[in-house]
Amino acid sequence: MKRKKKIIADKLFRTLFLSATLLSASVIVLIILFIVMKGIQPFLPQYEHGQVSLFSFLFGTTWRQDQHIYGVGYIVINTLLTAFGALLLSFPLSVLTALFIAKIAPPKLAGFMRSVVELLAGIPSVVYGVFASSVITSMVMQIAQSFGVVTAGGNSFLTVILLLAIMIFPTMTSLSITAIQAVDKDVELGSLALGATKTQTHFKVVLSSAKSGIFAGAILGLGRAFGEASAVAMVAGNKTFGPTWNLFDITRTLTSTMLTGLKETTGVDYDIRFSVGMVLIIVIFLSNGILHMVKRRIGKIK
Amino acid sequence: MIQRQRNKKRRWSDYICNGMTYGASAISAIVLAAILFFVFIKGASSIRWDLFVQDYWPSNYSITIETDKNKVGEFEVPTSLDEDAYFSKKWGIVLKDEKDGEESVVMTQIVPDSPFHYLLDQSVKNNISSFQWKEGLMLEKLDYVDKQGNTSMAGSLFMQNAEDIVKVLDEDVTQITSMYVKTKGGGIRGSIISTFYLLGISLLFALPIGVSAALYLHEYARKNKVCSWLRSMIEMLTGVPSILYGLMGVSVLFPVTQMFGATTTNLLLGGLTLAILLLPTIIRSTEEALRVIPQSLRDGSLSLGATSSQTIFKVVLPCAIPGILTGVLLSIGRVIGESAALIYTIGTFINDSPGLLTQGTSLAVHIWSMMNMEQPNFEMAAAISLIILAFVCLLNISMKILSKYWYRKWN
Repeated sequence: MKRKKKIIADKLFRTLFLSATLLSASVIVLIILFIVMKGIQPFLPQYEHGQVSLFSFLFGTTWRQDQHIYGVGYIVINTLLTAFGALLLSFPLSVLTALFIAKIAPPKLAGFMRSVVELLAGIPSVVYGVFASSVITSMVMQIAQSFGVVTAGGNSFLTVILLLAIMIFPTMTSLSITAIQAVDKDVELGSLALGATKTQTHFKVVLSSAKSGIFAGAILGLGRAFGEASAVAMVAGNKTFGPTWNLFDITRTLTSTMLTGLKETTGVDYDIRFSVGMVLIIVIFLSNGILHMVKRRIGKIK
Repeated sequence: MIQRQRNKKRRWSDYICNGMTYGASAISAIVLAAILFFVFIKGASSIRWDLFVQDYWPSNYSITIETDKNKVGEFEVPTSLDEDAYFSKKWGIVLKDEKDGEESVVMTQIVPDSPFHYLLDQSVKNNISSFQWKEGLMLEKLDYVDKQGNTSMAGSLFMQNAEDIVKVLDEDVTQITSMYVKTKGGGIRGSIISTFYLLGISLLFALPIGVSAALYLHEYARKNKVCSWLRSMIEMLTGVPSILYGLMGVSVLFPVTQMFGATTTNLLLGGLTLAILLLPTIIRSTEEALRVIPQSLRDGSLSLGATSSQTIFKVVLPCAIPGILTGVLLSIGRVIGESAALIYTIGTFINDSPGLLTQGTSLAVHIWSMMNMEQPNFEMAAAISLIILAFVCLLNISMKILSKYWYRKWN
């Protein structure tokens, strides 16, 4: 009798744990499903606030909420440009820093740098936003002045790139550290035995053995750059047409579009945000897919 | 000869390569130092005790003094009187000029048994209640009866400073008919309360669900395709930008809070959204904790006749507590720093008396609101940033201590 009760309790808990797991796993489905469901509303013919053409939404080069023109095409290009710009700037720095922490630095300095990276990772994005909108903007303003260009109070494409470069740095660095530390000691010793110096080993052998992990870090960093919202919205400047090619011109990203003018709670301006969110999901998915394919290629060739 | 030249060349390239790593690290350290320096320089001067206990919105009161106490007395000058403060000997009150954007006269101190201990709030007609004197009240206007028995007015509304008002109080006033006072405002009390609400709600939901899911994935799940699918679906959540959690919150969870009577975005909605956002963090850190627990402990418990659920609750979970705690600390850090998901789900209206189903702002969203005003308030934003950063540092340190203790336990 007692045994039976125990078995029932066992089964009950097992089911409970399983349902918690199913719930957690279903969240990703819920997110995608609901955003897509709400996001395609404005493009359906029976949409109550006036149908928006899907084609002009996806390929449009103007975003004017006041005139009900919604074109997200140039915003996608801007988002890609800022994210890849940040990656270009931040990637070499983060790989070098990771190598420094994992292999080169004396233990105490390595510990200190580890704390630096952890702290950078722990700083909330609004704080980065406040920092960017006063320090980075004034820096950019000075740079622009030396080129004889006027910026909109420092809010610019370049500011967004610099901000994102700082923000994705800790993510990439910590993943690169893990990848570098996971490199087999034998590979390193083999290189040293063949007469390579320590530095040569680090740069040529260790880094190339860890490249798959380092690349994974870059993909994660890029994802963060795409999705970063509140800090970017503070310095993007929200240009109404584009795409922006000039580094000192203001820009507009998908996330900054989603965060502008939050006053309304119904209507096209509200629903279109879900459409932008949908585009963001697609951008992240596509870029992740492509990069993972590239990663597999890189992983193969040794 | 050639060998030596080669070696020399090698040494130089080695130096350059090593130097590059030093340079990259230095840049990151400099960036961190710049952020900390900026936040400190800009924000430190705004951090006062008032900031934590004051409301954000200033409020006005019309107050008077109880009739039997409303008369002139003789009071000793308090021993600790600032140079720029003025003391009224006949009313026992210290006034000070303050320039915080606009000029104002602030009551900073009252001596024991000053008439100002017996204040009445007459802002609402026919409902006079007692009013507690507070440091920092701004004296805007003073209606009084002068020596000739005429009613007259004084105060900062008439461009008088503290010195003038004290002079009027000591030389002219025989009875105070009414005073118009204003609290300073600009505080973050409401946002702190909201942040605690969000922390409470999100952990209340995320912790049991997350720990249960981790237990299932690690203790029960077989290594088959379905389980690896579930695992990778949960893993995918870590890559979802927080702004999309916000969108999901308003579309999926808002109807849930509507059932409880919510009409606008609210703290419950924000907390639930954060709970979902925290799930992958908690699941991961709990699983990591479970992985470290030696299998022999479980086997021992099972072979002594305990059922698997008994083993989990009495043996496995207690051992995993430090790991779960690490997850909680990480979660607290995320809740405090989160902004994009919350802007959608709790709104950006700073609320001084937040409740479960009202709007409110967490500290991070408070910063967002300060930055999105027509005149961005950098000082306040930096001050709140400084508070958040101090908290983040504290969390980091306690996490390090925790993991050290834990490491010692199993090794």
